Formats: sequence, C-alpha cells, structure tokens
Amino acid sequence: MNFIEPLSGELDHLRPDPLIFEEELDFLPCAATALEQAVGGRSGRFYWRSEHDHLYCLELGDLGRGRPSTATVFGHWDRYEPRPPEHEIDCDLMAFNLWFAEIAGLDPEAVAKVADRTGLPPSWPEGSVLRTPDERFANLLGFDYEPQYAVVENLRMAYVEAGEGAPVLMLHGEPTWGYLYRRMIPALSKVGRVIVPDLIGFGRSDKPAAANAYSYRAHVRWVRKFIEQLDLERITLVCQDWGGLIGLRVLAENSCRFARLAATHTGLGDATGKPNEAFRNWRAFSQRTRFMDVPKMMARTLVKRRDAIAEAELAAYGAPFPGPEYQIAALLFPRMVPTRPDHPGAFYASKAIEGLRKIDIPVFLPWGDSDPITGRGRAALKDIFPHAAAADLPGGGHFIQEDCGEELANLIVAWIKDSLC
Amino acid sequence: MLKTRPDWLEPLFPWRQRSIVVNGRRMSYIDEGPRGGRPVLLLSGNPTWGFLYRDFIEPLTAAGYRAVALDWIGAGYSDHPPHDAALTFAHHVADLVSLLDQLDLRGFVIVGQDWGGPQGILAALQRVERFSAAVLMSTWLFTGTLSKFHSSPKPWTTWHAPLIGPYMMKRHKALSHHGPTAITVRGMTGGEARAYHHVYDEPESDAVVMTWPRTIPVTEGDRGWQDMKSLESRLDELAEIPVALFWAPEDPVFTMETLERMKEALSHAEKPVLFDRARHFMQDDRGPDIAAATVEFLDRRLGAST
Repeated sequence: MNFIEPLSGELDHLRPDPLIFEEELDFLPCAATALEQAVGGRSGRFYWRSEHDHLYCLELGDLGRGRPSTATVFGHWDRYEPRPPEHEIDCDLMAFNLWFAEIAGLDPEAVAKVADRTGLPPSWPEGSVLRTPDERFANLLGFDYEPQYAVVENLRMAYVEAGEGAPVLMLHGEPTWGYLYRRMIPALSKVGRVIVPDLIGFGRSDKPAAANAYSYRAHVRWVRKFIEQLDLERITLVCQDWGGLIGLRVLAENSCRFARLAATHTGLGDATGKPNEAFRNWRAFSQRTRFMDVPKMMARTLVKRRDAIAEAELAAYGAPFPGPEYQIAALLFPRMVPTRPDHPGAFYASKAIEGLRKIDIPVFLPWGDSDPITGRGRAALKDIFPHAAAADLPGGGHFIQEDCGEELANLIVAWIKDSLC
Repeated sequence: MLKTRPDWLEPLFPWRQRSIVVNGRRMSYIDEGPRGGRPVLLLSGNPTWGFLYRDFIEPLTAAGYRAVALDWIGAGYSDHPPHDAALTFAHHVADLVSLLDQLDLRGFVIVGQDWGGPQGILAALQRVERFSAAVLMSTWLFTGTLSKFHSSPKPWTTWHAPLIGPYMMKRHKALSHHGPTAITVRGMTGGEARAYHHVYDEPESDAVVMTWPRTIPVTEGDRGWQDMKSLESRLDELAEIPVALFWAPEDPVFTMETLERMKEALSHAEKPVLFDRARHFMQDDRGPDIAAATVEFLDRRLGAST
C-alpha cells in the first residue's frame, strides 16, 4: 500500500465517508503494532489512492496506549455527488483487507476465500451494464473497420485501428463515437497506427446503466487503463470536446506515454471563465430532455458539411443509442463539465494544467471559426502551451472532424512530419 | 431503523413507505400522486421525518402534484447509522442528489423546513436545471448567528454540548422524544407525539439528532461552515427560481430576524406569508393552511404538469 499526501486543497472538494470502524484494536496487539510500522505512526490520517483512483484514508487513534487502538477507513467522494458503484468500493476495501492481512501476519488467502464465499469483490451486478446490439452497427457508411475490444474494469471498450507505427490516439467527445474520425483515418494511418476508441457509454463500448457509474474521474481512469492495456507509447493524442477534457488529464498524469498533442475544439474544465450562453443552453437542454435525437442534432450543428452529409452518415451517429437507457453517458456529459471553481472536477483540471505547463512536447491547435460552444477555447490552451502551432479552418464548426475532416487530417499529418525533422 | 411500521401509525400516516439505497444506506420515502405530476419534495429537519408533512399529501396529490416525503438518513424510517461522521451536511446533500437521480425527478420543487432548507437547496443546486421552485419555512441558508435561541446557553447550546449532549440528547432523548411535543402550539394527540418519537425508540438510533445541532455553522471553523458558505455563494443561481417564504412570527428558533436575512439572500422571493398560531414545526401547527398556501403558490407560478 502506497501512502501519499492528498493534493493541496483536495480534501475540501471531497466528502469523507466512514466505511469500516474498529473501536478496539487491542484485542490483537500484534496487528496494531504491524499497522503502526506499516503506516509509520500510531495515530493520524494515512491516505492512499485505489485501483479506481478513489482517495481513501485510514484514521488511527492511539488512546494513550502506545499503539494504534482505534481505526476507521474513510472513502472520499465528490463532496455533494452520489458515491461510486458499490463494487468499486468493495474492490478497493478488499485490496486494503488483503494488504492488512499480509502485514499483520494473518492469512490473506483465508480473507480471499471468505470474500469469495460472500460474493466479494463483485463486479458490475447483472443487468447493470448495457451493450448496444451489433446489428445497429451493420453497414456503416464509410466506416468498415473491424471493431476490436479491450476490457477495462470488466467493461468492453471498443476501438478501431488502421496503419502501423507510433500510435495516433483519437478521442471523440459528446455525443459522438469513433465514427466521427472516419474521414481522418485514411490520411493519418499513413503516418502511424491510428487507434480510435469509443468512450465508455458511447459507440460500441459498454454502457453502465446507473448515473453514479459515470464521473469525470471515471472517464479519465477508463481511458488511462485502455492506454495501459494496449501498452501504447509515443502516442500522438488527437482530441476534441470531451476527448480533450479527458485526454488532457490522462496526458498530464501519464506524460511519459505521449509524444505529441493535437487538440481541437476542446479545453480543460478548470472553471476559470464563465460558461458561455450556448453552453448553458446546451447543458439545460441535456438535463431536461429524456432522449437526444443525435442525428438531428448533428445535422443542426454541422457548418460546412450541413448539406453535404448523407442521411446514412447522420444515422450512424444515432446507432449507439437504440433507446434512452443507452444514452445515459451522453446525457450526463454536459452536467459533468466543471463550471464552478468549487466543482471537484475543476480542482483536478487545474492540477492537470499545472502538470501540462511543465510538459515539453509538440502541440498543435487547429481550430474552426464557426463553433459557438468551444470556439474560443483555443486561447486557454495557447496559454498552457505558449509554443503551440496553430491553424485555422474556415467553415469549421464544433464537429470539426466532420466539417473539415480531410483538411484537418492533412494538417495534422504535415505537422507530425514537421515535428519529425 | 424500524423495518415495519406499527399498526397504530396507519390511520395517522396511511401512505406506503418505500425505500431506495442512497450512498450505501437505505432511504425511506413516500411517493404519492400522479407519476407525471410535478414532483414536490417535502423535506423535514431535526428531529422529525415525513410524518411532519402528513397534511400536505392529499392537497398536493389532489391538485395533480407528485408528493415525495423522504426521511433523511439517520431519521424516520431510513437507516440510522450510529456514526456521526456518516451524517454530515455533505452526506445529506449527496443522499438527496442520489434520490433525485434514481427517481429521475424533473422540474422538482423543494419544500424545506429546518435542515430541509439548506440540505434541500444545496442538493437542488447540484441539479439546478431540473429545479423549478422552492417553498421555505422556519429555516436558513447562511452562516452566522441565527437567533438568540441558537446562541443562548439554555437550553439549546447546553443540550448538545460535549458530554452533556450524549446524556441529555441520547440517554434522555431530550430532543428525539421531547422535541416536537415541547413546542407545539396546536397541541398534539398521544398518537401524533408517538409518531414523531417512536422512530428513535431503539438504543443508539438517534446519532443524527445530535449531529445536526452540532453542524450549525455559527463561526468560522464550525462543522458545516464550508458547506453553508458554498451554499451562500451559489444562491445567485436561483435568480430564475420562484421562491415562497412561509414564516411563523412566534417561532423562537428561526425568528423574524432570520426571515429578514432570508429576504436579503433571496431578494426575488415572493412577499412572505406569515402564519400565527405556529412555531418551529409550522407544518404540524398549521398543516392544512400551509399546504393550501403551497398549492396556491405552485399553481400560480408553475402548474402541476412538467
């Protein structure tokens, strides 16, 4: 168990939730002593981050007995939000139990056996994860890549890939899926191994049914684990919208895996500016509607290709969502954009920005000129990456990959080649 | 936690007790009226439970609203964790947010009294796009001294003081078994008094009754200070939300002075409606009248359909 200091100010954004109490450790003095040696103290608070990136705390009190006498384990959740799924908490507490058994000279196998008998640690309960039927994805226009699957926390995360060489990871955002990048894959697959995943809750990826399964942190964790599982290194990250909110945090926290960044129509939600009216309207709509007609929305939001896009292409954007229950992740994204400084997501985004400022990789910020939501987002990224290259795409709206796909791909290819010199 | 309701309670509170798990603990609530009706969340405070709103259910549902009266974790028929640290301000907020999510309530109304006010409003702010109106009575939404009642040594600060608190509040159940009955204006039948008290009959079941007063943030550093400050700083998000203030001039807990501060904090609120013959538990003293005023306000400002 790796004990850490919480980030400065982090605890203010979280709600400590008592999960395990032990008021008398004295019945097993050797365990108390082992605990003291392992954490390096007989009283106080000792923090660690779990497999699920949740912050936990072991609080010890010594009651003047010269060894730890009371113990409480707290989980720390986003201060006013429902806590994560119970199986995540059980997994994390089970890992703590096994660690404690180990250091206290108890039998971890016995612990594991009992846990097994009680059904712990469970995974997603049956029926709690939806999967869009495959037939919804038959005959996709312009996207006949064979889907591949990674498994992240027992969730199937779909991706397509093309080409060879250093990976080019392309992250989509709200409310799209990998299909958004189809017009860019041919050009980019000539300079690298293009990998286009669907975020959890989108595209062909699995869709947990409960709202509390999704959080900014969970999406960051899922993408990080996806990258770890495919063991991607020297990554060129291409990201838009939530692909950036997530991808930039993954980049900040795992910078050694990344070689380049091309970000477009995105940002990091550190809530320093006031959200614009277009975003506020969009968020209000998303929280009041029960089902978004994604093809219709795409048609309305496109600029350059509004008239050129085929019905079948628009329909492909609706394919992942056969009904409202499949759309929960998409309906939650707008609400999860941190818009107030006291939002826990804003806190972590601001920490990520501190990290990004120290990262020295080539950055490219191609941007369209017709996006009311993230159209002005480039300035914030320019501030983080003062040496970033930029390019302007006239007639490019929020879904720049659709409006200016080939053009954008060619710009990125040229920039990659440029940065190789 | 009481798992089954006693027979004697049925005629006083005939609605079905439902429950869902919020943040790992079981929350009890009643949920009456048309499913498509505008949800009205009836939020009580310390030390009461949904029973406090018994006079509201029929008028609201008859007018087409969906009445949801929940019991905060630690109170009523919800789980009663014996641990203070599981019953903080932030816990109650997150618990209500979880209920709002799980029942998928849209266009909801917060009716809040006592802790139902700050806990209800802070939770509603987490889902502000689905929040449509507030009715606030005998409550507060800010830090600092509230009234003489909250700073005078007798009886309030004494009751929940260290050591005295556990003796008075827990061993003698000074509040959980003697609170609502002590300050009723209307007078209470034995059955009504019992309805308030019996949910704390079991030993070690009344931790929340002491956590709540100990969380009132009067000076900086008090428990609850950070959360109440956060709430205060977000009240401007309510500018478009219709607010009704129902107050009892005879209430020693949240006095007319508190009402003045409420009017300042929510400057767009409608002119307060005052109810005489009532104290802190206004819904109990003047239930049918306040329920009628609630329906009138909601019908006039929003309507029952969402």
